[in-house]
Amino acid sequence: MALTLLGLSVLVFLMLRLVPGTVVEQLIGADAVVSPAMVAELKRFFGLDQPWWRQYASWIGGLAQGDLGTSWRTGKPVIALILERLPVTIELTAFAVGFALLLGIPAGIVSATRRDQTVDNVTRVGTLLGLSVPVFWQGTMLILFLSIYLRWMPPVVWVDFFTDPRRNLTIMLLPALCLGTASAANVARTTRACMLDVLGSEYIRTAAAKGLRPRLVVLKHALRNALIPIVTVVGLQIGILLGGTVVVEEVFTLPGVGRLVLWSIYQRDYPLTQSTILFVAVMFMTVNLAVDLLYAYLDPRIRY
Amino acid sequence: MSRELNRREFLTTTGLALGALGVAGRAAHAQTPAKAGGTLITAQTSEATGLDPQLVPALSRSRRSPLTYNQLVRFDPDMTPQPELAESWQISPDGLTWTFKLRQGVKFHDGQEFTSADVKFTFDRLLEKSQSGKSDFNAVDKVEPVGKYAVKFVTKEPFAALVAALGGFWGFIVSEAGVKKYGDLNKNALGTGPFILEDWKVEQQMVFKRNPNYFKKGLPHVDELIVRVIPDEANIVAALRTGQIHHAFIEDNKNFNLLKEEKALTGYRSSRLGYDYLNITATRGPLKDVRVRQAISWAVDRSQVMRVATAGFGRLTAPCTAPMKQWQLPEEQWMKYYKPDVEKAKKLMAEAGVGSSFSVKCMVIPTFPTMVSGAPVIAAQLKRIGINMEIENVEYAVWIKRWQAHDFDMTMNTTPGYADPDVAFFRALHSTKGQNWNSWSVPAVDGLLEEGRKTMDAKKRKEIYDRVQIAILENVPHLWLYSADLIDFTQTSVKGFRQHPTALLYGLEGASIEKA
Repeated sequence: MALTLLGLSVLVFLMLRLVPGTVVEQLIGADAVVSPAMVAELKRFFGLDQPWWRQYASWIGGLAQGDLGTSWRTGKPVIALILERLPVTIELTAFAVGFALLLGIPAGIVSATRRDQTVDNVTRVGTLLGLSVPVFWQGTMLILFLSIYLRWMPPVVWVDFFTDPRRNLTIMLLPALCLGTASAANVARTTRACMLDVLGSEYIRTAAAKGLRPRLVVLKHALRNALIPIVTVVGLQIGILLGGTVVVEEVFTLPGVGRLVLWSIYQRDYPLTQSTILFVAVMFMTVNLAVDLLYAYLDPRIRY
Repeated sequence: MSRELNRREFLTTTGLALGALGVAGRAAHAQTPAKAGGTLITAQTSEATGLDPQLVPALSRSRRSPLTYNQLVRFDPDMTPQPELAESWQISPDGLTWTFKLRQGVKFHDGQEFTSADVKFTFDRLLEKSQSGKSDFNAVDKVEPVGKYAVKFVTKEPFAALVAALGGFWGFIVSEAGVKKYGDLNKNALGTGPFILEDWKVEQQMVFKRNPNYFKKGLPHVDELIVRVIPDEANIVAALRTGQIHHAFIEDNKNFNLLKEEKALTGYRSSRLGYDYLNITATRGPLKDVRVRQAISWAVDRSQVMRVATAGFGRLTAPCTAPMKQWQLPEEQWMKYYKPDVEKAKKLMAEAGVGSSFSVKCMVIPTFPTMVSGAPVIAAQLKRIGINMEIENVEYAVWIKRWQAHDFDMTMNTTPGYADPDVAFFRALHSTKGQNWNSWSVPAVDGLLEEGRKTMDAKKRKEIYDRVQIAILENVPHLWLYSADLIDFTQTSVKGFRQHPTALLYGLEGASIEKA
């Protein structure tokens, strides 16, 4: 994990500096005929006059001491900005995952147990659509459609769950739906494939021959064994969802970490961008670890 | 060539203009006092890159500056200078000293009194630190207090455009104590303006509270103002439609059609001070030759570009735009340069020795809808005369860098415009003493600009700037494409809002919300 993070830190650091433009141009803007002295002063202020390796060492040194740095554009500690927005992204991702599971798993089960019937065909077309439709288009179309025909759109002013749960859920409904659609499609397809595989097994035929109710066979015996690949996919989906929050948060103007990263890139706020991306990477790795530990619970044969 | 106006558009335009005038009239001559209280929510697509009114040139900053700061002089919506922090002013007979009598009893948001020391501090800081702002005040030698409530601007030479500069983007007065306290006004605002910045969540919203000690009694009307950032204008349209926000400035004029029929909304449409243009670097390849630039000007059908880029909600403009009023050229003098003539353009290209086609690159910032829409139209038009214009989508931060370095063949561009032709042209076009946006050099124009700057007599200035405009049209430093209309929408419950030709948010000072 440490090596992965180190490699990622080098990649993020270098890629940012390869993109033309710095925070100095963002501050000064298009209307300026800039004096070299002013540019030099600003670069000195932001440490951009230092060699790249010294800038990197300074950043890594701070990280090693738990200091994620200070945002150049806001003057606030990066960790404060992240923690301010993290609950929004976590809530959005959790709802999206919940939606994906609630829709995807039952759809996959029904599709597998009704193979080649109408409901199976409809589900498969549905999953294809879910995977094909871009999130940003879906979000924008939903907002436009609802605002034109139902005179409704999610509230534009953010309210957190504990302040006003009802309003918060109203805000989150559409974004979670958009973000979770592709994941639901993935989960449905994986569930269908895994269930078909398991349903063809000897022990399932034995269970049915013993006279167990079909629902019990499917949900207790088949699904339990099909879950491991599904859990893997869901775990990977969480990582994809975390990335997808950038687009959804931008479309629905949610004050999450995704929008923060996007804005920091536009502003060339290097400390904010670098540290936030690493933070998200750590979150992703933590989720993967949790998924791995879940395997042991689901499959007694797996021991670490 | 004038844009054709059909009957429906004429009636709609007239109705809206009359409606807007009616709103303005009610605001100006209100028989019933405006309702006080409430929270007004306005939306913007861009976050302010910083708030310092002296260091940040971005329109996203200057648009918000009138909420928390005032100027010595403010241009009203008719572009007539009005006293603001200055009550009156006089000019010495030699034209070198302007004395401004300051308003007394004005307080900054922290309770400190506004005095002549703050004016001196403001302009000393501007002249010292701000390359961009300084260029509007290049002719100012020094600023000196005359007692506590008067201040003297001493200029190096007669400078007729001083009042215009003071009422422009760089004229907002800051607090000396505030700068000393915060050091950096990019994240804080400490002015004398109608609203006090209470909270700022970057990329989300700014929350302002009413300034209870504002020197304009009775203003502002609302208790709280929220400036919400909604990057996607489609969401702003939806938010207006569903009543989630009270006001928005519409960047993409095509969206006017989506909202004009909404009964719950009031639409405002008026002339803008600024304009969209095609920047040309006159040191690049065939573009060096004035005949090639003239050919480009004859080949481009500006009406067509405007119809696509603004859905027709705009107007063709001489170098001095409509709100510049007395400075405008009569239409018959400039419109003839805008009648497309492809044959003439081809002939000029041939005379310039550009026989076969050549290629140029034109930068476009993807987040500016008028640039994105207009560029392909221009490319298609230039192809007819053998110029292959390749459109380069360039991210804003990169565009800034390249524009500063003049590292482009051509670029779509937009400017907020300026009230006085000196401020509008000197900085942009003087080849050595200004920023010279197009890297060109026409000594005759330089001479006219210098003469115009020093001339105090209004009639003589008018003559000079008429000649400047003709010289611009003949020599084509850049192409004035069109001036897109300013479009705002408010909920019908919002009263007293007025548009301003600069597109700055002056109009929210007098806005109120009538409860349903």
